Amino acid sequence: MSGAGPVEPGEGTHAWDATDTPRPPGRPRGRLARCYDRHRRAVLGSAAAIAVLAGSGYPYAGRPRQPPPPQPPYPVQVVDLVYLDAVAGPGGAEPGDFSFAVLLSVRSGRPVTVTRLAQPYDGLAMASSPAAPIQTKSHSARKIIVTLRVTECERAPRNLRLPFLDVTLRNARAIQAHSFILGSRYARDLSEALHAACDQYSR
Amino acid sequence: MRQRSLIAITAALAAGALTLTACGSRDDDGGSDGGNGGGGGTTVVIGVDAPLTGDLSALGLGIKNSVDLAAKTANKDNYVDGIKFETEALDDQGQPSVGQQNATKLVANDDVLGVVGPLNSSVGESMQKVFDTAKLVEVSPANTNPALTQGVDWQNKKVRPYKSYFRTATTDAIQGPFAAQYVYNDSKKRKVFVIDDKKTYGAGLAATFTEEFKKLGGQVVGTEHINPDTKDFNAVATKVKNSGADVVYYGGEYPQAGPLSKQIKAAGAKIPVVGGDGIYSADFIKLAGASGTGDLATSVGAPVEELPSAKEFVANYEAAGYKEAYEAYGGYSYDSAWAIIEAVKAVVEANDGKLPDDARAKVVDAMQNVSFDGVTGKVSFDEFGDATNKQLTVYAVENGAWKSVKSGTYTG
Repeated sequence: MSGAGPVEPGEGTHAWDATDTPRPPGRPRGRLARCYDRHRRAVLGSAAAIAVLAGSGYPYAGRPRQPPPPQPPYPVQVVDLVYLDAVAGPGGAEPGDFSFAVLLSVRSGRPVTVTRLAQPYDGLAMASSPAAPIQTKSHSARKIIVTLRVTECERAPRNLRLPFLDVTLRNARAIQAHSFILGSRYARDLSEALHAACDQYSR
Repeated sequence: MRQRSLIAITAALAAGALTLTACGSRDDDGGSDGGNGGGGGTTVVIGVDAPLTGDLSALGLGIKNSVDLAAKTANKDNYVDGIKFETEALDDQGQPSVGQQNATKLVANDDVLGVVGPLNSSVGESMQKVFDTAKLVEVSPANTNPALTQGVDWQNKKVRPYKSYFRTATTDAIQGPFAAQYVYNDSKKRKVFVIDDKKTYGAGLAATFTEEFKKLGGQVVGTEHINPDTKDFNAVATKVKNSGADVVYYGGEYPQAGPLSKQIKAAGAKIPVVGGDGIYSADFIKLAGASGTGDLATSVGAPVEELPSAKEFVANYEAAGYKEAYEAYGGYSYDSAWAIIEAVKAVVEANDGKLPDDARAKVVDAMQNVSFDGVTGKVSFDEFGDATNKQLTVYAVENGAWKSVKSGTYTG
């Protein structure tokens, strides 16, 4: 296809075309071979075109590939959940409920959704405002009010050293269940609230 | 034809570029000492103290290799201009008295400006004063006993006993309660038999676990102390079987925990054995055998596969060709060594590119302000010398390997 001349030999190119020398005996020619003989120019022309096209594509195929974009980090690695303080409960909270605020922040990466927010202890029930699912964008924070209610004083644990909040986090990479241990100030406030709720109940 | 020429030209250019790149690599390594050399100049030695022989050597050798990798990386990158890092690793055999002798030896070498180690809290206890008197910084990747940084009365009043001591591992003040909450809330176990090895680490961890487990409403149906010098725990195993416990908590290390788990199951108590980071080793699984499936361990930090920062460390560790695995504390050891390197860098840069005469004291001061993104996440230290990054993970034995089942972060 470069225009530099015929790509296949023409008549008289081979010695046996020009002489009476008998052609060497060959294998019996089949249907495909006979078809090739009839359409030799077209077949060879097409083959040449394919070869040149493949050659043109070689630099493209051999170009340096862009590395795949790095995967976003796991949600646990970019989320902080810290205890702020005990707060007044939201509207709808009943006497005996106690509320506290936590701050959920996403340090980097894609948005993260809290699909579940729970406390793991017997004798307590929990609600949050806003309720899950709670979506938080990257480089931003959301305040969440968590309200606890004692359902069974005998079973509710008092004086825990390191109470948890359990969350399930989801981002573009994964869904992860994770415990946040909110520290001694949360432990103290939770313990005081439990004592207040249950002492009142027992009186 | 044009395509062929293009390919030929491209190939020639590529070959040339490769040649230049290769030349560049050789130049970078110029003057190196077996890959461990840097830009020459002053030599700074990072000491390592860990059990390099004996039962705990799997963990100790992982610590030693990871520190070596950090030093080589700093030298290769010429991270501190004019400073070449070397390492000197000493074997404490897991013995406090040997650790103390090693501390004295490291102090005597003027080139040592920081020490990574040790593994055992009891060994750390024996070394702290020696290092502090010499104003030589010590960063442990594995000590978890709270008293080392917060004083013996840490539960009531935290007082930092030694200014020169730091650690990258989370303390048992968090690890014990974290395990207790998993066992009670997630595994739904209510009756625990608590065993420890009477050592600083094991007894301390068992105590923090027990306290939280009882507060949650759990019952301690038996306690025992074992002699870590034996591997025959049949008498204890029988007591566990007869106690009606639905879980065993063991404060100690894997050389004893593995056989203990095996013998408890053989005695007929088909209940999980739970321990701390001291049993989080592949060797525990080998020693516990097939019946160890379902046993649990907490360990400091997040699972390596979840940390993008750890991928490079893992790849470099493999490429370096160390014979032993980096084990539970490899990432923390690398970060401990790198914290020393960062502190040395800060001291050198503040002194016109040279080490000052009182370099050791200056490195201790600089360590307090070190902050960098390490293998295990953000590395920095609080007012007690404890790591500010406090992640923990629960692992379970499944199909002959540790598998992470829950993780937690202390954000207090």
